[in-house]
Amino acid sequence: MKNFFTLFFVFLLTMGFVSQSFAQIRGTITDAGDGSPLPGVNIVVKGTTVGTTTGADGTYTINATSGQTLVFTYVGYLAQEVSVGASTTIDVSLESDTRILEDVVVVGYGEQDKKDVTGAITTVSAKDFNGGVITSPEQLIQGRAAGVQITSSSGEPGAGINVRIRGTSSIRNGNNPLFVVDGVPLSGDDVSAGGSTPLGNSSPRNPLNFLNPNDIADITVLKDASATAIYGSRGANGVVLVTTKSGKGGKGTLTYNSEVSVSTISKRYDLLGREAFLDAYEALNSAAARAQLDQGADTDWQDEIFRTAISHNHNISFGAGDATGNYRFSVGYLDQQGIIDESGLKRFTARFNGNKKFIKDRLTISTQMTISDIRDLNVPVTNNAGFEGDLLAGVLKFRPSNPVFDINDADNDGNTEEFYQPNVTEPNPRAYLALSEDVTKTIRALGNISAELVIAKGFAFKTVLGLDRSFSSRKGAFSRDLIAGNDVTGSGRLFLTDIQIDNRLWENYFTYNETFGKLEFSGLLGYSYQSFVNEGKYNTYLNFQTSDLDLMINNYASAALSGGGNSYRNADELQSFFGRFVLNFSEKYIFTGTLRSDGSTRFGSGNQYGYFPSFAFKWRIGDESFAPDLFSDLSLRLGYGITGNQEIPRNQYDRRQRYGDRNVNNAGTFSGGGLGVISFQNPDLKWESTTQFGVGIDFGFLNNRLTGAIDYYYKNTNDLLVQIQSAQPAAQPFVWTNLDADIVNTGVELSLNFIAIDQADFTWNILGNVAYNKNEVKNFGGLINTGEINGQGLTGAFAQRIAEGQPLYAFFLREFGGFDSEGNSIYPNGDVQVFTGDSPLPTVTAGLTNTFTYKGWDLSFFFTGLFGHSIYSNNENAFFTAGALANGRNVTTKVVGNGEGGLNAPDVSTRFVQKGDFVRLQNANLGYNVKLGSNSSVTSLRFYINAQNLFVITGYDGQDPEVNTNKSLNGVPSAGIDYTAYPRARTFTFGVNIGF
Amino acid sequence: MSTLISKFYSFILLLGLFLVASCTNLDIEETDSEVVEETEGGGLTGNPTQLLLAAYKDLSAYTDQANIYSLFEHTSDEMIPPTRGVDWSDNGVWRTLHTHNWDPTHSYVLGAWNQLNERSFRINVLLASSPSAQEAAEAKFIRAFNMWHIMDLYGKVPVREFDEGVDVNPRVMTRTEAFDFIVNDLTEALPDLPSVGPGANNTTASKAAARALLARLYLNKAVYSQPLESAAGPYTFDNGDMAKVIENVDAITADGYSLEPNYFDNFTPSATSELILVSLEGDAQNRYFMTLHYNQNPSGWNGFTTLADFYNTFEANDSRRSAPSPVAQGQAFFGVKRGFLIGQQVDDNGVNIIDTRTQQPLQFTEDVPIAGAATNKGIRVIKYHPGAKGKYILLRYADAYLMKVEALFRSGAQADALTQLNALRAARGASALGAITEADILNERGRELYWEGIRRVDQVRFGTFDDTWVEKTVTDPTRVLFPIPQQALDSNPNLTQNPGY
Repeated sequence: MKNFFTLFFVFLLTMGFVSQSFAQIRGTITDAGDGSPLPGVNIVVKGTTVGTTTGADGTYTINATSGQTLVFTYVGYLAQEVSVGASTTIDVSLESDTRILEDVVVVGYGEQDKKDVTGAITTVSAKDFNGGVITSPEQLIQGRAAGVQITSSSGEPGAGINVRIRGTSSIRNGNNPLFVVDGVPLSGDDVSAGGSTPLGNSSPRNPLNFLNPNDIADITVLKDASATAIYGSRGANGVVLVTTKSGKGGKGTLTYNSEVSVSTISKRYDLLGREAFLDAYEALNSAAARAQLDQGADTDWQDEIFRTAISHNHNISFGAGDATGNYRFSVGYLDQQGIIDESGLKRFTARFNGNKKFIKDRLTISTQMTISDIRDLNVPVTNNAGFEGDLLAGVLKFRPSNPVFDINDADNDGNTEEFYQPNVTEPNPRAYLALSEDVTKTIRALGNISAELVIAKGFAFKTVLGLDRSFSSRKGAFSRDLIAGNDVTGSGRLFLTDIQIDNRLWENYFTYNETFGKLEFSGLLGYSYQSFVNEGKYNTYLNFQTSDLDLMINNYASAALSGGGNSYRNADELQSFFGRFVLNFSEKYIFTGTLRSDGSTRFGSGNQYGYFPSFAFKWRIGDESFAPDLFSDLSLRLGYGITGNQEIPRNQYDRRQRYGDRNVNNAGTFSGGGLGVISFQNPDLKWESTTQFGVGIDFGFLNNRLTGAIDYYYKNTNDLLVQIQSAQPAAQPFVWTNLDADIVNTGVELSLNFIAIDQADFTWNILGNVAYNKNEVKNFGGLINTGEINGQGLTGAFAQRIAEGQPLYAFFLREFGGFDSEGNSIYPNGDVQVFTGDSPLPTVTAGLTNTFTYKGWDLSFFFTGLFGHSIYSNNENAFFTAGALANGRNVTTKVVGNGEGGLNAPDVSTRFVQKGDFVRLQNANLGYNVKLGSNSSVTSLRFYINAQNLFVITGYDGQDPEVNTNKSLNGVPSAGIDYTAYPRARTFTFGVNIGF
Repeated sequence: MSTLISKFYSFILLLGLFLVASCTNLDIEETDSEVVEETEGGGLTGNPTQLLLAAYKDLSAYTDQANIYSLFEHTSDEMIPPTRGVDWSDNGVWRTLHTHNWDPTHSYVLGAWNQLNERSFRINVLLASSPSAQEAAEAKFIRAFNMWHIMDLYGKVPVREFDEGVDVNPRVMTRTEAFDFIVNDLTEALPDLPSVGPGANNTTASKAAARALLARLYLNKAVYSQPLESAAGPYTFDNGDMAKVIENVDAITADGYSLEPNYFDNFTPSATSELILVSLEGDAQNRYFMTLHYNQNPSGWNGFTTLADFYNTFEANDSRRSAPSPVAQGQAFFGVKRGFLIGQQVDDNGVNIIDTRTQQPLQFTEDVPIAGAATNKGIRVIKYHPGAKGKYILLRYADAYLMKVEALFRSGAQADALTQLNALRAARGASALGAITEADILNERGRELYWEGIRRVDQVRFGTFDDTWVEKTVTDPTRVLFPIPQQALDSNPNLTQNPGY
């Protein structure tokens, strides 16, 4: 092979020297935009093999004769042809080709021309990303893509996010789509430790926080099965392809971006002040009780805890690129303060992307590597605090008449400088913050290297090696001085949790493209192997000799007791074979077919392999001669496919035993640790599968001033993987099964892009999307409860039930009919829970962006909204009742005089359900690009102001209608429940971008 | 075209090459758990000693105030779980138990079913893992203990063999089949169980434990022999069964068990003569937390109380009714007396407690409503004392003793029954009875064993479970059996619902 290439080169060189009749043509190639020289531009003499490239200064020389034509080509620029005349100097300036850049979209295992794409996909590129403080990539496209609902679980920095593409199609956890970053599919595992603190469970952070949003070039969402089936078993919830930026520009670019942000709580709780509280308390009890209760203080606990948070974000990147390769290096630093005192997120990221072509452009080596170091500063906010409560429960219920410090020496210990902490059920928020420290440090590296070899024209082979490695360590200490449950008081408690992820990928595939007359064929055939290892350990320490939090963490021999906890290691493999063909007749009729076969260790030997086919057809009607001129673009798409899901814990098919977690209390009593059966024979467990049918129309009018797409889909998920009650006697209380039921999502999506005004100085662009989805559980004979409701007197309470004919997570409640004369709740239809017709799943999602540009100025407003759903306020149920007030806890103003008696039991009922519809001004952005002289060393300069969450229009009277606290019950997730959620912020960001 | 063909061949060749090189057989080695294989003899590999230890630890389920315990106590006339404002509503689980309004979706009906059956299955796995003779005997005792609860509560018992996976629907034993199965387990276990005398740390099975359970089975055999349609009786007690009760109790006595001279010592670490079996894990603390008021020390959950009518069955001098705190004044928990707490409560220094929520003196009342109860309503009950709590009792000699009294009575030996009963009453400081009736025996069992998790069984056997008391107005005889939980019915087609649900 080597000899062949040597000979080939010699041949080419010889050709050059022997052709004496050629004249030497010289010239410089420049960018038509900024006049900068372009290195690496390809120049060939048309119809010959004679060619060259420009040097670093953009100059070239080539031998050609008069009458021949030179063809100048360069990636990202429009090709130009120039005839050779008398002159031996030919300077050319190339126009950058924005059209081409936009019209190629990333699909699974490759790229396609947008006009040839047969599936339902949406691409959002950097210019349309959400701005402001953004910690993870999916926030960039929140609300921007039709049928893609993105909800963060709370306002906490780096909080977990739920992404639902075309509705919720599974019962268990794992409804998030597959994320593929530069071709590497990520496992959905949490990389940082959530888990239980002494006060309750906290949710893990978003595993995608490791990606610096500033590094992302575009995000493509594959929505329908015909697009996602190439990802087979993991495509059922849609696929999100994240492409990071690569280096551009021959002479290289250096950019610096700096932002400072100011965040404040967007809406406060309407809590009673000191006098109003005491008056209301007295009305339910007595003046004597009031006198006894009153500590004489006037404390606004929201003021004590919430702050104006300042965040900084800095990014530097440099890179360059030409036709034979490019590179880009970036570093980013984010220091995000949370609006709760002491909470926040710090992140450092570094990324290198590069690729280079070798052997006459036949071999391309490319790599993308990123490493990030994240520090989560946690505060004791939980999602299932019981009657004792957590930090936010304290903010809501701790009396405004209580002081921060025990100024009255209520506990008679002579100390008036300690925190005032009456008892475990009355958490003093300041004490919770001061007497606890909880930090998670995570390092995650994601990298891949690939080699693509063109074996013959149109026929190439690519191999990709990927590595995703992370280490996360959480250390949480609660001082013995904190009055809190679970052996904290008088003992102190430290918990340590480590999680390590080691995922590897090796992929190999062939691509083959050939044209047979009017038929273009392209094919793909590949093999993929992924291994996933998730291991970790957790432990607790008790009975500390010290109250010093740092010492507790860094010198844990200060604990007299340790123990409890456990360690684990989960390993899985996924082996896949996949193929795709595209047949394109006359650029009008395009057929795509894909098949993927996935083999997974998640299933027993009989069912390891699943087969996931798809077919799609596109008819470019607009290109037919009979198409009316009205349309500048018109296409019909049809797609059908089957995708799968395997998101269950590992090895649920073998009979296995394991020693259970050990627990220890501060009396030194150990419990647990017994050898238990953790799984038993479950040989029939198999893939969950989703069958999807879709039809869509892409259209463009008025020379594409108005473009858009409308889609209809029908999505049916069956063999649902879910944990159900075991048929007892059994080894475990719950067992994974393929539920014989259907979850049907049907919907319509519409997206529009309208260039309302397009003048040289002034443009107005309107981008909108709206989607309707109906979710229903069908053919299900059983029932599954979820939506655990916590609080005093609410043990065992739940608010949602999955059953036949209802949407998933439908509310299942008592029907509240007001209060009787005693102030007790009336349930006209009985003290029983029923389906009330309220659903937590929105039926309509919408987004609307208006962008204006005027000379150097640009201004955009982005509204987003969710409609048709309800929210259950566990806050109101647990904290805002007359009973809570009677017990000396603060409440909201609406509780006073609502007719409820102090001895009423606030059972789960429609009393605590509200409509969740809202419209939010999610993002507003004003920017100015400074006009720079052509000789300026600064090539671009931009200033901007961004506002996030400027206002929300909603009937919901909680902190924010976009809330989804994890209230899962027995592993079955919930939806639309609000409980001590970290509140949402309103954020103003000031930023500058400088390019050199 | 030939280039196309050669491309095609090279394509296939390369594809074949890398497929051969890269395939995995998708076989992962377990590193954090043991895969249990079937042995050639049809058993399982595994560690029977550790599994037995785990089975003993599992008995801690009986110490919880919810699930199993709640079904035996809150449904009876000796315990009421009042809803107190925002406290103890808990989605109605407690109220519906006391008022006999539960249904097949009741979470404790399901919880108890799952806990008990899960524990019985684990024994099947243990027994298949080559245990020693004594380990097998202890395991069979534990299975019998768990299974008795299932049979008693639900009237039928599902069975899954150790080698039956998720794809097998458990077969279901009728109540009489289950009865025979449990008796057989205990009979087989007896010879290999050790003879152990009374002790505060009897955490493992002994001959006395097996015999106490056998006595309980035979005493209730008349109940368990009824068709489910007429599970509430009337019952016909067989003299042969009663003789077996007496025989087993006598054997326990022969092992050295006798009535504890000081009643409340039974619930302390210094118990000497009555404790047959206590729980290895699971603290007895829930028994005082669930009843004590939050202003007492220890600060309780201000939950369950007894009913006035039950309290009033005690004579004033009955030592089981009240006893002083076992700790001295000024020390922690002095303020908590033993027995029934009624009237003004005091702190560890003897000072009257003020309820911090109402600012009223904390005085427990006899009356207590099921809903809307003020914080001071109801008589609190302390057997395990926070200052001197022993291990949680699963089987106690006094229960066996009273079973013998009842067996004597039911087999016509009224005079012997009266003598024995009066001996116990004398030991507890109560006056001697002149004659003995069925009601006397039920009341005595109540006074001796209150809040120890057996009241429902006694009320069913004596036919008073479908009577009414204060807030309990339902008189449905089908309530003597709990329903099969809805989710259990959904998961196993071999199960049928009990009559009346």
